[in-house]
Amino acid sequence: MDLALTDDQRAILSAVDTLVRPFEAAPLHDAPLAATSDDLDAQLRLNGFLDVARDPDLGTVTAAVVIERIARLPFATEAAFSAMIGPLLGEVPGPICLIASRRTPQLVRFLAPGTTVVIVGEQEVESFVATQDHLRAETGALYGYPMTSLVALPDERQIHDIAPSIMFIRWRAALAAEAAGLLAAALASTVAHVSEREQFGRQLATFQAVRHRLAEAQVRANGVYWLAMKAAGTLDPGDAALAAWHAQESARACVYDFHQFLGAMGMTLEHPLHMWTYRLKALIGELGGRASNAAAAADALWGLSNS
Amino acid sequence: MQFTWTKDEEAFRERLKAFLADTLPEDWERFSQHGPASPSLTRYAESFCAALAREDLLTPHWDKDIGGQGLGPWFQTILAEEMWIAGEPRGGQYMNVNWIGPTLITYGTEQQQQRYLPPISEGKALWCQGFSEPGSGSDLASLRTRAELDGNEYVVNGQKIWTSYAGLADTCFLLCRTSDDRKRGITILLVPMDTPGITVRQIPSLIGEGDIHEVFFDDMRVPATARLGEEGQAWEIIAYSLRNERLGIPRYSLARAALDRAVSILQHRGDFTREAVRIEAAEAAALTEAARMASYAIVTRRAEGQVIGQESSSARFATVMCERRVAEFIVEHLPEALADDHPYLKMHHQRGIVAGIAAGAAEIQLNIIASDVLELPREPR
Ligand SMILES: Cc1cc2nc3c(=O)[nH]c(=O)nc-3n(C[C@H](O)[C@H](O)[C@H](O)COP(=O)(O)OP(=O)(O)OC[C@H]3O[C@@H](n4cnc5c(N)ncnc54)[C@H](O)[C@@H]3O)c2cc1C
Repeated sequence: MDLALTDDQRAILSAVDTLVRPFEAAPLHDAPLAATSDDLDAQLRLNGFLDVARDPDLGTVTAAVVIERIARLPFATEAAFSAMIGPLLGEVPGPICLIASRRTPQLVRFLAPGTTVVIVGEQEVESFVATQDHLRAETGALYGYPMTSLVALPDERQIHDIAPSIMFIRWRAALAAEAAGLLAAALASTVAHVSEREQFGRQLATFQAVRHRLAEAQVRANGVYWLAMKAAGTLDPGDAALAAWHAQESARACVYDFHQFLGAMGMTLEHPLHMWTYRLKALIGELGGRASNAAAAADALWGLSNS
Repeated sequence: MQFTWTKDEEAFRERLKAFLADTLPEDWERFSQHGPASPSLTRYAESFCAALAREDLLTPHWDKDIGGQGLGPWFQTILAEEMWIAGEPRGGQYMNVNWIGPTLITYGTEQQQQRYLPPISEGKALWCQGFSEPGSGSDLASLRTRAELDGNEYVVNGQKIWTSYAGLADTCFLLCRTSDDRKRGITILLVPMDTPGITVRQIPSLIGEGDIHEVFFDDMRVPATARLGEEGQAWEIIAYSLRNERLGIPRYSLARAALDRAVSILQHRGDFTREAVRIEAAEAAALTEAARMASYAIVTRRAEGQVIGQESSSARFATVMCERRVAEFIVEHLPEALADDHPYLKMHHQRGIVAGIAAGAAEIQLNIIASDVLELPREPR
């Protein structure tokens, strides 16, 4: 057991740090709530950071490390599925969108003409490249990701020789790694606010009611980080389901608290908090929510039957 | 104890429902997603409130001698519930009828009443509430916007923030500092928003257009007759105003209606058989009903003529708990509700997420419960 980053991982993280530096500052924006940058998307792809898991020496833990780091940016960019799932699919055009059923309409993150939509069904894994006919943009959606409704599926879809269970493991690990980054960044933003803002002649951060809940958030964010890394490392179905559940449960608890502590400031588009919290909100409903991930974890840990 | 409505109360609710069904436009659910302070809803509220006034439904809870019908606290609760469930088609005018009107009646001069009350009871007035400042949110008594008497005029300098409706309001219920005494140095001015020296900037928000603003006062002058009550009387007057508003908005009503709507959508598409979803829906319903009962216990005491104090904080926090749980249930199990498919649920989300912040932070309510209900010893300062 050794939870330290390898030298390679440290080097990659440092290279990502350098690349994303121009994107650390929150952009001013009006509705829609999601902030995106074509430039950031292109640079991440061009420099191969979304392909780290294709290198067996780096693997999926490195992908998780990259996903977590990129999620901390105020910009929403599709890194998680490209980095974690892309290697399983071979050469497909990114960004990658995942859905768990053929139901239409359904709300999908990052879906746009040219993205690869992967349907992880109960029996098989299929994909297609989206075109305008399949989509309805949801510019009014209250989420921090660009959201689109998938309204139709093409009849011709590529079948992939991958077990759905394998896909779900990586989906859950990717979601947890992304949530870990979002939680950490939202926490940092909240900590900065309460340390500066004074009421009743003292910093908000000096109220124990605030301190304890933020300290709990730290424990949650840390827990999600490590469960995500472990899930990416073991690719075990139980680890992945636990990581996804903890991510969604922590998102639920922390999003409320962070906005509470910002007061009215957290309701503005001028403060960046929503760029992380409104992405966390979208992750809460993915993969069937906490209940589905808890059920998957229980199945994996203890089996399906009574005895 | 009696857990049923009287015939009169039931009839009143039915009358309101029928009025809403007849009056609201067909696309109301989509339309009401515009925040209550948006230009479109504010304009709509003018015709809606005028229609309410024609039916004697705008101020029925005011006393008879001031133009109401003297309907008691239960009718006021029913009125507030039905309006809020419908997405508050009165827009910002709910403030007029809930507390601004009654406050003017109690503390206003005859001239002030003649000027401001008729538009309120005709459904034509829009007020904004200039309390919070950049440095004074939860700690309202620290406010710094200064009003200085110069001859028979007040000269006002300072800044307000988060002011709902400021962009369209005709009058501001403004708190200013006239002396350094923390609470007794605060004075209310009734300020026409077109007075020179006022600048309003809309703050882009997560919760809908037109909802929150900054308001700047640069050497703004109003006659001394714009003062409500005496200099330094603001704290006492607001305490009176809030007595009328103690329970705040009956948020449990919309939270429950949104939950019911979400469940019926899930049922319709065959997703309400999963045990976990059923359990979570029921848990959320328990919280909405607990908040409702806590509120009704307070209304009961008001109906008995008792003065309601800080114990209403418990009911208010109960509504924050239920708003939170219902919003979380919907985000988790019906995520598309926050896109375009279910405007009623999106409207609920937008209104619900401010429950723990607008009109006073939830943590302040908890402090009040701890100090005044549990009577816990105070934290050392
Ligand atoms: C949608 C909306 C509409 C509004 N409309 C108006 C309006 O029309 N007019 C107006 O005057 N104001 C308005 N407000 C402002 C509102 O009254 C304030 O937001 C509220 O009083 C909280 O103040 P604040 O935002 O400055 O938060 P702060 O006072 O900075 O507090 C931030 C957070 O810190 C924590 N905190 C603060 N004090 C304590 C404490 N003592 N103990 C523990 N925790 C604490 C709480 O979690 C609190 O939520 C509106 C706000 C919103 C969100």
